[in-house]
Amino acid sequence: MLVQNILNGISLGSVYALIAVGFALIFNVLKFSNFSQGGVMTVTAYAGYVASRYLSEHLDSSLVLFSAVLAAAALSGALIAAAVERLAFRRLRRTKSEPVYYFISSITMGILLENLITIYASSNFYSYPRFFTTSAVPLFGVNVAVTDMMMFALSITALLALLFILYRTKIGLGIRAACFDVNTVQLMGMNPDFLVTMALMISGTLGGVSGVFLGMNYTLYPQLGQMVVKGFVASVLGGLGSIHGAVIGAVLLGVLEIFFISWVGAGWAPVFIFVVMLAFLLVRPRGIAGVIVQEKA
Amino acid sequence: MKNGMGKWLFCAVLVAVLAGFAGAASAKEILIGNMQDISGPTSVWGNAVTRGAEIAIEKINAAGGIDGAMLKLVTMDTKANVQEAIKGYNSLVSSGAVAVVGPPVSNIGLALAPIAGKAGVPVVGSFIDPRVTVGEDGKPQAAMFLMQPSSVQYSEIMASYTIDVLGLRKVGVLYDQSNAFAVSLMKPYVEYIKAAGGEIASEQVYTKGDKDFKTQLAKIREAGADCLYFPNYIQEAVLVTNQRKQVGLDIPIIGGLDFAPPFASLVNDPEAADNIYLANNFSEKEPQLKEVWDIYKGKYGENPVNKVFLGYDKILLIREAMKLGGGTSAAQVMAGMPQVKDLQGTTGVLTISPETHQPVGLSMVMYKIEKGAYAELGRYVPEKHKK
Repeated sequence: MLVQNILNGISLGSVYALIAVGFALIFNVLKFSNFSQGGVMTVTAYAGYVASRYLSEHLDSSLVLFSAVLAAAALSGALIAAAVERLAFRRLRRTKSEPVYYFISSITMGILLENLITIYASSNFYSYPRFFTTSAVPLFGVNVAVTDMMMFALSITALLALLFILYRTKIGLGIRAACFDVNTVQLMGMNPDFLVTMALMISGTLGGVSGVFLGMNYTLYPQLGQMVVKGFVASVLGGLGSIHGAVIGAVLLGVLEIFFISWVGAGWAPVFIFVVMLAFLLVRPRGIAGVIVQEKA
Repeated sequence: MKNGMGKWLFCAVLVAVLAGFAGAASAKEILIGNMQDISGPTSVWGNAVTRGAEIAIEKINAAGGIDGAMLKLVTMDTKANVQEAIKGYNSLVSSGAVAVVGPPVSNIGLALAPIAGKAGVPVVGSFIDPRVTVGEDGKPQAAMFLMQPSSVQYSEIMASYTIDVLGLRKVGVLYDQSNAFAVSLMKPYVEYIKAAGGEIASEQVYTKGDKDFKTQLAKIREAGADCLYFPNYIQEAVLVTNQRKQVGLDIPIIGGLDFAPPFASLVNDPEAADNIYLANNFSEKEPQLKEVWDIYKGKYGENPVNKVFLGYDKILLIREAMKLGGGTSAAQVMAGMPQVKDLQGTTGVLTISPETHQPVGLSMVMYKIEKGAYAELGRYVPEKHKK
């Protein structure tokens, strides 16, 4: 049971991790928590479903189909996030608005995207096709879901890819520079619009991947993106703005949730989790990774 | 110039308003409210009820309406939210609705019962928690009417089938403790099982919004249960079915109404959607469904789910209550509703009890899902209900 709980916790934490990493990235650049990520995840989950319906007629291999669906959702996530940046954040950035306006704007965009899906897709239930013939495999004497393992592996891969982009590419260097001071970046000849859009697109790509896994695990419904709140909690635990802290916070949150459900039941589990979180933030308000945070919106 | 424009604008608005009043007065419409989840988590059911109600209204209007007046359905979106539902109900009452087609959500029914009792506009719903229709004092809630078996009747049918027919005596229970529908289906089931000599091996809970039930399912497996009773909405049913397989819990699921189609197609894994028992309101083979089935399929290009027929029957009940109550006012509909007897609906023959405002004598059709396919097992009534 202990091993089963740990593995369940890690797998649940992996779902939160992909969301939390997107939060951390945007917080680094724009200094606010981007709640439109929930709406992006919802739309991409449906986009992935539409792609799966269309591509399943042309692709025989399940693995190829799954990869193509993942790519389509990631691409749509990047494009939607770019559109969100253009519509909701660019003008605020140019007028040097307070972070709270970004926060409000991002929530509004999240609700807008969710409602668009509600209008177009809520009259029926949808479910992703079955990509893998095996749904669970034995590991350390307990059964582990294949999608959970893939989610964990993908979280780690996405984190490594993100770190590579941030620390080994020119765009990453630009994004990191923009994290410190957008005005100086502009003075140095870089285009801040491009850099911020790129950061949003990377975050949208992660949202697209999360959307597909959420859709596969939890079926499709317009409120799917509301799991973004758990990603936000994880990113606060990990230290807002820290990418590796977000992953640690997410896994910790997942494991805590599962253990509290096992010990005190699902009814009391959220109470215990928030008590632990409050106590932790009292002791260490900067979160696990200890990034200094000046503005939390 | 400005003043001239203003006068013209004022006149145009006045004419439009008067025309509106004249139109409203001449149209001879009877407003029927419809409160459903159109955009929330149970919107598939809400949209299905709405479509069923619309089909019934179109049919009644095509046959000349009621005493020459046309029925008009006014839909309010509850978003599966109690506050939204109360706002919607109050808005319908002030708009002049004479009856309201209620949602299949017990939480909303419980909140509406005292409000509707004061407002005097009846709500005909499929909220199966018996507290919606019968108050704590044992008297019926004045304006609330149920048109499918209550949760007590339903869960006793399922409990009796579990222990008396399937011979499963050691039950694991998993339910949403924050949901009136789930709790109302859990308690009578557990009481029946215990009274019949069975055992509740493990009782596990979760709360609204939870998506991962593997910990609870693993505990039920460890407790050695020989079946899992899971009464809740379709999305959680899909998750539990998939996760049952993932944790290696190889026991039958005894499910609620939400395991009816399209549940199995959503699981999308015939090996997971297997060994599941449920009771539905009707059999798809029954002849009285055909007309509505065909209209729905022709109109929407898909097979109707069971909530379509519930929506259709709610309108039939309201029309019958108008006849029996002697008119089309809210008070007359409310007076006529408890008099409804032997009304042939699509979901069965409906008789409303004046003592409970619930239907009497409705049986359920048992189904088993095997490898993703529904197999009909026939109608089932426990011995207790026959007495």
